[in-house]
Amino acid sequence: MGMTAKDKPKEGEIWAIGGGKGGTGKTFITSSTGTYLAKKGRQVVLVDMDIGGANLHTFFGISRPKKSLTSFFEMGASLSDLIVPTEMANMSLITGDIHSMASDKITFSQKLKLFRQIMKLNAQTVLVDLGAGSHNNTLDTFLIADKMIVVLVPEVIAIENMYHFIKNSLFRKVKLTLKEYGFKEIVQHIWDRRQSYGIVNLKELIDYLKESFSYIGTILDHELSSFQVHLILNMVRNNQDIQLGASIKSVMMKYLGIPIHYSGYVEYSDAVWKSVRERKPFMLNYLATGCAKEIEVVVENLIKNADVERLGSV
Amino acid sequence: MLKDELKKFYEVLELPPNASLRDVHNSYMRLKKLYSGESIVLEPLSEEFSDKKRKKILEQIEEAYTKILAARSLEAARTEPLFTEGQAEEKLPETVDPAVLVYSGPGLMKARNAKNVSLNEISKELKLRLELLNNIEAERYETLPEAIYLKAQLRTYAAFLGLPQAKVVEDYLARYRAWKEKTALPKE
Repeated sequence: MGMTAKDKPKEGEIWAIGGGKGGTGKTFITSSTGTYLAKKGRQVVLVDMDIGGANLHTFFGISRPKKSLTSFFEMGASLSDLIVPTEMANMSLITGDIHSMASDKITFSQKLKLFRQIMKLNAQTVLVDLGAGSHNNTLDTFLIADKMIVVLVPEVIAIENMYHFIKNSLFRKVKLTLKEYGFKEIVQHIWDRRQSYGIVNLKELIDYLKESFSYIGTILDHELSSFQVHLILNMVRNNQDIQLGASIKSVMMKYLGIPIHYSGYVEYSDAVWKSVRERKPFMLNYLATGCAKEIEVVVENLIKNADVERLGSV
Repeated sequence: MLKDELKKFYEVLELPPNASLRDVHNSYMRLKKLYSGESIVLEPLSEEFSDKKRKKILEQIEEAYTKILAARSLEAARTEPLFTEGQAEEKLPETVDPAVLVYSGPGLMKARNAKNVSLNEISKELKLRLELLNNIEAERYETLPEAIYLKAQLRTYAAFLGLPQAKVVEDYLARYRAWKEKTALPKE
């Protein structure tokens, strides 16, 4: 891939929202986060990368977008020409590929071109809705982001998928990084023979690489220091659900050795379901709800790389 | 204890070194519950977090909690005068168990149990005789030392558990003195 967030001019940030499982509310969180940022006065472009399941536009009352990422992939249109305005000031949108294109049809050079153009979009915050799944293209998009955000619901399958998603992202990051420095095969080689090395998991692999090759250790320490994931718990119903964020933070540090910022939670609410049905931006029409306040907290924490406070006692 | 060593114990409890006693306690309870029970957070990683590994994590959590509380109580003993009367404010952030209204012997026992700390642990950490601690909680006043000594011991005990020291001393000594008066001047 050979491209990282560092190559991008610093005035704008890319926030990518993923998390593995479908139906956790990624699109809702993306649209609400974008709306809140735009209301704060930030220039926001939302990009719907949920290939095959794009529906971000419906959150803004757009039923059939005239332009979409299809034109980028099939006709070579430039990304900036695909931006459509929304009714909201400061916020525009690049709609997804509504012709359900398969993710693996995207070629390597298309991907590089897409990333280059995302980085050049004229916005203070580019919010990318990644959709479900852990396809390499999805992971790579996640990895170019300045803020890597996952949305989770308090269910065991969603948690499992999220671990898988983060683990694969980290593995890919390690591989891509070492490839960039000319150690292309080493990670996979050792991983394939992990039993004879006495390695059980990714964390031990990374530890092994660092210990055995001090140069690689230096590289990984440097490159992985920016690997932080922001966690949003969606559809929580009680205090126990809210506490899960702190537990995941603890477990992920022990499991993969990576820091998680628990940005906050959003309660389960019929208002969300209603606003999706009405095809109206939630943050404009349901400002007084608990959900809207919680989203404000989440976004403020995302901006500051902070964790949610006042979790209460167990 | 060395500062770095103590800092590591706070890290085990996933806290900054300036965390309040309430945070220390809450974090301890939360982590203990997470790594001993069957959390949906651990379920997908049951191979990764084997019984053996969880046991080791739990031991580290126990050790960190005990060491932090001990360090905190020493700190309290150093920074707070033990024998001044009517202290208006407490130095340490404290957790008040709303279920305990009066820190009598049984009240102290209840507060201690709520924090999941055994008398043995307190005895070991604070170098107080187990027998004395037992007698305090059982209100065997006849076995207890003079009020002026008892006060210091109650304070250390309260600090260790993160209880409001002044209230513990006040509540307990009130009952102790009442008993003393009753036995010293028996009615005719």
